[in-house]
Amino acid sequence: MSEYGIRIEGLRKRYGEGDTAVDALKDVNLTVAPGEVVGLVGPSGSGKSTLLKCLGAVIEPSAGRMTLGDEVIFDGAWKSRDLRALRRDRIGFVFQAPYLIPFLDVTDNVALLPMLAGQSNAAARQRAVELLAALDVGHRAKAQPAQLSGGEQQRVAIARALANQPPVILADEPTAPLDSERALAVMRILNDMAQQYRTAIIVVTHDEKILPTFKRIYHIRDGRTYEEAGEGRALA
Amino acid sequence: MISLAGRDILHSWGKFVLTGAGLGLLIGVTLTMAGVYRGMVDDAMVLLNNSGADLWVVQQDTLGPYAEPSSLHDDVYRDIRGMPGVASAANVTYLTMQVRQGNADVRVMVVGFEAGQPGEPGYLIAGRQITRSHYEAVADIKTGFTLGERIRIRRHDYTVVGITRRMVSSGGDPMVFIPLKDAQEAQFLKDNDAILNERARTAATPSLNRPGVPGLLEAVQRAQTANRYVNAVLVQVRADYSAAEVAATIRRWKHLQAYTREQMEEILVAKLIATSAKQIAMFLVILAVVSAAIVAFIIYTMTMGKIREIAVLKLIGTRNRTIAGMILQQALGLGLIGFMFGKIVATFWAPVFPKYVLLEPGDAVRGFVVVMLICTIASTLAIRAALRVDPATAIGG
Amino acid sequence: MKLALPSSRRSGLALLAVLLFGGFGFVATRSGPLAPTRVTVINLTNVGNVTDGGASAIAIVPAMFGIGTVEARRAYQIGPTMPGRVLKVLVDVGDTVKAGQLLAEMDPVDLPARMAALDAAIMHASSGIVAAEAQQTDAQARHEVAALNAQRYDDLLERKFVSPSAAETKRQERVSTQAGLHAAQANRAGAQQEVGRLQAERTALLKQLDQVRLMAPADAIVTAREAEPGSALVSGQSVIRLMEPASLWLRVRVDQGRAGGLALGLPAAIVLRSHPAAPLRGKVVRLEPVSDSVTEERIAMIAFEQVPQGLSIGELAEVTLQPGNTAAGSNAVVLPNASIKRQADITGVWVSRNGELRFVPVRLGDASLAGMVQVLDGLQAGDQVIVHSEREIVSGSHLKIVESLAGSAT
Repeated sequence: MSEYGIRIEGLRKRYGEGDTAVDALKDVNLTVAPGEVVGLVGPSGSGKSTLLKCLGAVIEPSAGRMTLGDEVIFDGAWKSRDLRALRRDRIGFVFQAPYLIPFLDVTDNVALLPMLAGQSNAAARQRAVELLAALDVGHRAKAQPAQLSGGEQQRVAIARALANQPPVILADEPTAPLDSERALAVMRILNDMAQQYRTAIIVVTHDEKILPTFKRIYHIRDGRTYEEAGEGRALA
Repeated sequence: MISLAGRDILHSWGKFVLTGAGLGLLIGVTLTMAGVYRGMVDDAMVLLNNSGADLWVVQQDTLGPYAEPSSLHDDVYRDIRGMPGVASAANVTYLTMQVRQGNADVRVMVVGFEAGQPGEPGYLIAGRQITRSHYEAVADIKTGFTLGERIRIRRHDYTVVGITRRMVSSGGDPMVFIPLKDAQEAQFLKDNDAILNERARTAATPSLNRPGVPGLLEAVQRAQTANRYVNAVLVQVRADYSAAEVAATIRRWKHLQAYTREQMEEILVAKLIATSAKQIAMFLVILAVVSAAIVAFIIYTMTMGKIREIAVLKLIGTRNRTIAGMILQQALGLGLIGFMFGKIVATFWAPVFPKYVLLEPGDAVRGFVVVMLICTIASTLAIRAALRVDPATAIGG
Repeated sequence: MKLALPSSRRSGLALLAVLLFGGFGFVATRSGPLAPTRVTVINLTNVGNVTDGGASAIAIVPAMFGIGTVEARRAYQIGPTMPGRVLKVLVDVGDTVKAGQLLAEMDPVDLPARMAALDAAIMHASSGIVAAEAQQTDAQARHEVAALNAQRYDDLLERKFVSPSAAETKRQERVSTQAGLHAAQANRAGAQQEVGRLQAERTALLKQLDQVRLMAPADAIVTAREAEPGSALVSGQSVIRLMEPASLWLRVRVDQGRAGGLALGLPAAIVLRSHPAAPLRGKVVRLEPVSDSVTEERIAMIAFEQVPQGLSIGELAEVTLQPGNTAAGSNAVVLPNASIKRQADITGVWVSRNGELRFVPVRLGDASLAGMVQVLDGLQAGDQVIVHSEREIVSGSHLKIVESLAGSAT
């Protein structure tokens, strides 16, 4: 791991051309250190989702530079040919809803990405079981996703995001449907995982319940980011 | 790597199996239709094989004796026997008629044959061959007659002494073999009312009923009830001669028509079966199209039901190839289940059909290949839809 | 693939898979053209004695079978020898008549009148005889007188009492009257011959009159009444047909191909079509020297041991003739005729010999009506003879031996 988990410089995303062009992102700069959990806050239409999509290598930015770990992935144009492999190996996703694959059991849901990356089934499952144990859902390893409670599913989703040991995790409103106790529990897990695996985590949210847990928060308005120090309240 | 398709199938196996069963019934019907066609061709082949003949000699300018009526004098066979290259020649008659069994009628083809000559049933599944020159019969098992039963054909009762299998006419009617003389009488001697009518008419004709010539009327009436015709002469050709040669000689010198085995096959298959073959071919095409549509619809629906999962998979880094493979495997799996189900079902209901249904392994293999092809093509619709899904939709707006 | 499913579901799916694949495998190998042909066989334990397999108990009884028609050996057609018209018919169908009984009469037409005329002519001729006799007597008397006179005058001439011319005249008278007597005698003979001739004509006419009376030639039953009074017939047409009921016999036709053992005296089992449950006995009493070449049948006449009551001419019967058993200790194998197959010119059976399926040509001996055939040679001990089969057997067929195929006798 290098010094920078995520580093974005001067990112811009323009939709349309000429007079009708709209800049969803005008000038975005942010960094996240390995092991750090950073919040990204902003109203709707501020470009949050666009930024996440750029970070997730799902849409192509118009200009700027993105670095993941020690690899520049975008510099005016994508550096990597295989964006899918990039997402698979270097970025973990946590969504609002767990979005587990219903026809795979819990272990295989988590083991899927490592298998897709080429690991043997046994090794992938081994890693999955470890992660699930770490996230305190090890006892549900053989269950079907439909049999789990919401909180358990979310933890499995987090395990899935961590399965390939990506340097970066992008979390999109992971606590939105949860109550404060659960939300704080998720944040605690994210922080633990970040420290344990030295992962840089960006959490897009407007859940006020968890804002105090961030040490640093980026606000995004009109396509620009502004850094702010957060309370960094420790999580029990 | 695990099989996503396999997991999905196992997860919603009920739906899959039911769909497969439905598809299987459709495939079963398709295989059965092909089997009906094969059965018709087999009926014709079996008819030709069972006669044991190399040549069929019939009335000139007819396509007989199966496709058209044909009448020959019953002493023509003696001439034919004397021709070079002829190993044996025997008279046969064929007549499709109703036979009484108790209170019911059974539709059969009555074959008149001479014992030990071509035309005799080639194998029995029970009982014995005919030993008496009159009033014994060998019946096909499809008639429903049993050994020892007495059946009525025209004026006489016959005892069933032997049972055969797969001896049918080209139309699928089971055969009943009786001695030639009895068959001639059955075919050419009319019923009693007609005979009496004929006698009365002859008696009323002055030139035939001359008072000055005693015995003339009786002689004429006897001549009228004589049965001196047969439908065909079956010829076996000697090993060192070719059937075509002998047939050509017969045609040339005897004012008769003679058909070789190949020509008879063509007559039966090309002429008799042609219309049915076309119908069946059309049915097969329609069924194939319907099957393709159903498979396409089912797979598409299944895929659409998984759109969200597909978006997530794409987002977290699954290749398009993998996703397309999953859909294709599901379609092929559905096809496989459907085919096996269909083949089993077709095999079990084939004997129930009134006509002979012949399910050939070659047809099954071809059918399997076609089913797999159809599934592959049908899955392309769903695959296209899946590939068009934008992974960004997994990330909410 | 690890199945992380609850075990009930797993076993349910496993069962389904087993059923599907198992069913498919079953279907593929057991049915359709790939399946083996089922056959029944007879095992020949030894050749040289009658074989087992249920056939040993049956000695071959070759028999001949034919259909017979009841005919009357002695049947008569009674009719006129000359054209005429029927006058009376005195009997009807079914009547029993005695020999000599009058059955019918033809119209004699002019015969009685001619008879009367002849009678009159005879009387006339008889009168002629009387006249001739009288004339003869007269001539006789004259002659006698003339002879006496001639004698007297000859005497007188000698005594020269009369002239020689007178004596001459008396001698001439004697000669004349002698001639006259001869003439009268001849007349008389002629008159008698005339009567004789007329008598003969009368006899002839009587015979003709006889012809118009139709009599029964023997004790018989009337089978047909073919003309009614008033019908005109030509000679040869019959008025009444008769048959002797005791002479009823069967004309039996036997296929020429199977008539090898036909001989006089063979016993016959007769089953009348009208009484199929009551078989009768008879024997062959005549073999027709002329066979029917059109229908290819030999003809034999079978007499009943006892002619049954109520038998009618033209009835059909099934006749079985038994030339007698083959030698019981014969060494030939006996097989059911369902096993005999013909390929082109060769007659043979399919056998499984040393595990190999072969078509073996055989030589056949006698055959019985029950469907058993003697096989004289071609088979070896240890052969398994194929009797019944589901399909035509060809070299290379896969066989599966079973006890019996469907369709056996109930």
